[in-house]
Amino acid sequence: MNRRVAPAPAKPEKPVAPPAPRPPARGRPRIGAWREHHARSFRTSLHRLTERPGATTLTLLVMSLALCLPFLLWLLLDNARALGGHLDDARGIGVFLKPDIDAGAAKAFADTLRARSDVADVVIKTPEEGLAEFRSQSGFADALKVLQSNPLPTVLIVTPKATTMPNHSAPPIVDELAHDHHVDQVQYDALWRQRLDAILAFTARLAGVLAILLGLAALLVVGNTVRGDIAGRGEEISVMQLLGADRAFVRRPFLYTGLWYGALAGLVALILIAAVEIALSGPLGQLTASYGARFAIHDLSIVQALALLSTSIVLGWLGAWIATSRQLTLGHPQ
Amino acid sequence: MIRFEQVSKKYPSGQEALTDLSFELDAGEMAFVAGHSGAGKSTLLRLVALMDRATRGQITVNGQNLGKIRARKVPQIRRGVGMVFQDHRLLMDRSVFDNVALPLEIAGCTRDEIGKRVRAALDKVGLLAREASAPVTLSTGEQQRVGIARAIVGKPPVLIADEPTGNLDPMLSAEIMKLFAEFEQVGTTVLVASHDLNLIKRMNKRVLVLDHGKLIDDFRPAPVKTEVRA
Repeated sequence: MNRRVAPAPAKPEKPVAPPAPRPPARGRPRIGAWREHHARSFRTSLHRLTERPGATTLTLLVMSLALCLPFLLWLLLDNARALGGHLDDARGIGVFLKPDIDAGAAKAFADTLRARSDVADVVIKTPEEGLAEFRSQSGFADALKVLQSNPLPTVLIVTPKATTMPNHSAPPIVDELAHDHHVDQVQYDALWRQRLDAILAFTARLAGVLAILLGLAALLVVGNTVRGDIAGRGEEISVMQLLGADRAFVRRPFLYTGLWYGALAGLVALILIAAVEIALSGPLGQLTASYGARFAIHDLSIVQALALLSTSIVLGWLGAWIATSRQLTLGHPQ
Repeated sequence: MIRFEQVSKKYPSGQEALTDLSFELDAGEMAFVAGHSGAGKSTLLRLVALMDRATRGQITVNGQNLGKIRARKVPQIRRGVGMVFQDHRLLMDRSVFDNVALPLEIAGCTRDEIGKRVRAALDKVGLLAREASAPVTLSTGEQQRVGIARAIVGKPPVLIADEPTGNLDPMLSAEIMKLFAEFEQVGTTVLVASHDLNLIKRMNKRVLVLDHGKLIDDFRPAPVKTEVRA
């Protein structure tokens, strides 16, 4: 037996002196070390993702698809709203006067309408004005040149007072105008507009519901992936717990993994959306041109892109958090 | 330092692993827990490390009543208890240095401190030269020494070891045990579970003998004076 390490005599008075100082071994970790662990978790979690490119790519693709679908729907909706925006004046009633009514009679008729209590405004569009507008807007300039005379009637744009118009039915003046002997035809777009509004509202709700469902899917994808990570590193986790690692310490690298998944999936989703926009821009451009370029396609704005990215990051982080919660309770004594 | 008062542990399966166990270990005292496999040695150590909780009785470690420690505080208690396992449980994807550094990282030491203390611990177990190696490249005895370095690097007041020599040949086993005895000398309370009675006898330390979960003998070495004079 080695004398040097011969056991100290088991005297009654034991060396009660506390073991060598170990200031940081207990209590709260210091801020410098805490930062170091964050930085290390940040790096190693990314490193782990790149170690399994196949699995990582699949996860990212599933997640980014789930993210970009609702955004694409919203984008579509945004554009539909912009298109609808041009019909704001649809509240006006287009009154096509009979061709034999001259300017003077039209003005007199407009004045009588203006005098009505349920009319806010009346605008007269002479046939000449109508023709000029037609020429400038609808690309029919060449066809119009062929015409010998102006075929357009005088049109009155009658704006009824908003208060007199109940929500879902045409104001009574529409019916009255239709039967007036000056009037050839009444065009009232508001009903059409209301239907469009209803469709848009429904689509917006649909997009919202889809966003929630697909967001949930993204959450599960990340959660499940991180769960797999945890299962593969069960030994490491339990050793760390035995060495006194608290929840935050064990959880940290996995949360960063979720964060990376979220951030990368967000970027991939943005790329996908951009690709879809590019793929659609050709046909859509033709479509808008046929509308006389009265509205432009809205691309994803910076704000929307950032919103998508942060949503994605939050979902990734949250998914990892949920996945780690279960595992962490296993390391505790019953 | 470690006090058991009428501690019983019954597993959910109904098996009673420990029955009415009482003993006390002073600060800086070293003791063995001996007994056949299934006698309750591992259970005893698991209770000290709060890997399990006692069904009855009171356990005090480092002045803390473990029965009153809530789940959130468990990590703090474990940082005060160095643990050595039979299968060393090193993390194979990290270097020797990183394995030993783990408890310090967990405790919140900065890189500089970690470097110094890890090297001191590796020096103590005679593996300073291997700090950059992967654990798989080490022999079983060396791996166990890395495990010990990891257990003591945070200078915990209590060190427990469950069959630390279970996988080692007699010579290596004796070396490892001597290492434990050294920690006792710096004031660490050391509790080692082992079924190797020959080895335990040669160490000439206090021995708690368990049988079927009961403490059947608390053997304290006869006057050690002769030993010291020799």
